[in-house]
Amino acid sequence: MAARPFRLGLTPVFLDNDAVVLAALQKAIMRGLGMPVEMEQRRTYKEVTEMLLEGALDAAWLCGYPYLQHEDRLSVVGVPVWNGKPLYRSYLIVGQDDDATDLPDLAGGMHAFSDPDSNSGFLVTASDLALMGTRPEDFFRRFIFTYGHRNVVRAVAAGLVRSGSVDGYVWEVLREVEPALTAGTRVIRRSEWLGFPPVCCRKGAVDDPVIRRFTEVVLRFDATEEGRAALKLLRLDGMTPATPTLYDGIRRRMVIFRRAQG
Amino acid sequence: MAGGGLLGAWRRLSLAVRVPVLVSVLMIAVAAVASQLVLSALDRQQVARIRELARQHVEALSVALGPHVLRKDIWEVYDTLERAAGASNGRRTVFSAVADTRGRVLAATDPRRAPVDSPIAKLAQGAQRPDQLEPGTGESRIRLIAPLVYQGRTVGQVVTELDISDLLEERAHARRLLLFGNGIVTLFLALVGYMATRRMLLPITRLVERMQESEGTPRPIPPEEIPAGDSEMARLVHTYNAMARSMAEKAEVERRLAERERFVSLGRLASSLAHEINNPLGGLLNAADTINRYADRPEVVRQSATLIERGLRHLRDVTKATLEMNRLDRRAQPLAREDFEDLQLLIEPEIRHRRQRLDWRVGLGHALSGTLPAAPVRQIAINLLLNAAQAAEPGGHVGFAVQETEAGLEITVEDDGPGLGPEARRRLLGAGPVPQGGGVGLRMVHDLVARLGGHVEIDDVVRGSRIRVILPFRAAEEGAWAASRAQPAGEG
Repeated sequence: MAARPFRLGLTPVFLDNDAVVLAALQKAIMRGLGMPVEMEQRRTYKEVTEMLLEGALDAAWLCGYPYLQHEDRLSVVGVPVWNGKPLYRSYLIVGQDDDATDLPDLAGGMHAFSDPDSNSGFLVTASDLALMGTRPEDFFRRFIFTYGHRNVVRAVAAGLVRSGSVDGYVWEVLREVEPALTAGTRVIRRSEWLGFPPVCCRKGAVDDPVIRRFTEVVLRFDATEEGRAALKLLRLDGMTPATPTLYDGIRRRMVIFRRAQG
Repeated sequence: MAGGGLLGAWRRLSLAVRVPVLVSVLMIAVAAVASQLVLSALDRQQVARIRELARQHVEALSVALGPHVLRKDIWEVYDTLERAAGASNGRRTVFSAVADTRGRVLAATDPRRAPVDSPIAKLAQGAQRPDQLEPGTGESRIRLIAPLVYQGRTVGQVVTELDISDLLEERAHARRLLLFGNGIVTLFLALVGYMATRRMLLPITRLVERMQESEGTPRPIPPEEIPAGDSEMARLVHTYNAMARSMAEKAEVERRLAERERFVSLGRLASSLAHEINNPLGGLLNAADTINRYADRPEVVRQSATLIERGLRHLRDVTKATLEMNRLDRRAQPLAREDFEDLQLLIEPEIRHRRQRLDWRVGLGHALSGTLPAAPVRQIAINLLLNAAQAAEPGGHVGFAVQETEAGLEITVEDDGPGLGPEARRRLLGAGPVPQGGGVGLRMVHDLVARLGGHVEIDDVVRGSRIRVILPFRAAEEGAWAASRAQPAGEG
């Protein structure tokens, strides 16, 4: 038992210095759990979610959308608190010199999504299009997935695509740490406040002592030095348990999107 | 035409300049050719290096991009291109674009320049295959096009622009270093070559200078200036010295010959003068005897004394004229009418002796309109007169005339002898060497006339000869004659 490390799954975070952030997180959790921790980073939410469901991971930092997709089998360990709330928004961005003012102006253009299983990087825009009675395939001339919110910003800033759907939290932090990158983009639409991407575990493992300890560690990140260091790098305040209605907004958008996919 | 002029100017330069310059120019030419060879080798090496760089670049892109291009994953293609460019900090790769098999752009490092789905053909203009790359000399960027091969099949193509300005700068730097270094060394060697050959040719330069300054009278080069050893130069100088000495000896022989000529004419003059002195001596002795015998008869004594006095006066005149003839070496007395009276006095005994007729015409006033030194003119005249008297048959005719013309003093001497032979003409008119004998004194006349700046004319006459000497008057320059004369003093 002691030989088996704790395995935490992640997708590309957002910063240029992912390794530093990961190391800080790993250190904080390791100290809290008192056992080795392995950070398992994968390219897509799909991969990470499947690994978690299969038991290849003990816990994973997912997005609200994949969590809701597997709500029956997953449980929220904690939700990051950003600017005092466990909420974030999705941004629709265009190039700095683009004259589009809202989503309808982007018709026929090339668009960048982050991940097909990302709420802010796909679902929000896709459901908005569904409300307009269209689909990304029809509305955009072409769209791509960059598998990383930072990549969406890069693609838009470089002009590879005209517009992009990006995590508002990531964009705001990037504006702080990489202002040159965000300077090439402009936000033309902000979604309503939605539940922040949660840290999840399998529902059946909730009572596992390790998961219990892990939950304590996560929720008390702000109480330890290592935890605070990791939170500081992530520009987060701390972690909080999820309330039952936190992900209602995303749930609503899922319904709209599915109906349109029909 | 200019080339001919230049060639002409080059040929007029002295050997001592031409050879060193030629040596320097050849050295510079050799250095230039060597530099050119090194530079072209450098260029070839650089081209090979750039080709290898291009090949490796494209190969690396192919490996990295292959799977993404195959899947047409725009983001991954873009990300890979970006990271590849970022790895060189954008210094090497300026721009890259990747297209699918239909030639549509999948992604480019600068999407604004090459948007997704735009034709790549537009970007491929002027692009070269890496293996056939010929980088232009001045272009700091090269554009490459190459197929993207993945798992053995062509999945697309890549166009990429590489910045090779650092390589070009490296080449330019090497070129500058090479040219600068070679330039310095070449200039140094050319200078050393110039000075060395110049030094080697120095004896020739000296020889030429020596020959020029000696004005026809070569003087030997002193031993300290003769190059050491038995080089061609030393032998040349020795040969020259031997030649100069032999010429000096020859000149000495000629000088002695001329002197002898002078003595010959003087001897002749002396013999006729001896007659001149001897003739009145009988009369004078008679008169002295008369005085002894008739000492008590004053009118007879007086008459005899007068006779003696007249005879002695004549002797004094003859002596004086003879002395004058030989004093001429000492002083440059100006020519006067009296000089011709002396000449008449001196020549008449010879004429009389040969029972010849002398036609004497001196058409001069008491003062001459110009100056001429008396001594050489008297020499010229007496020699011509003696020659004429010699040439004319006994009982023949000798004519002498002197007058002033615009050209100066004109002396004409004629006779009715057989005329001047070719030998005599050569002596009188030319400066070349002459064999001995014939026309004694004529060479002396020629030399004297030449020294006075005059000239000799020989008139063609039916019978005999007529020699005309024209001597230009000169401004009063005392000593000019004395200074310029090289005639040995023949004072008697």
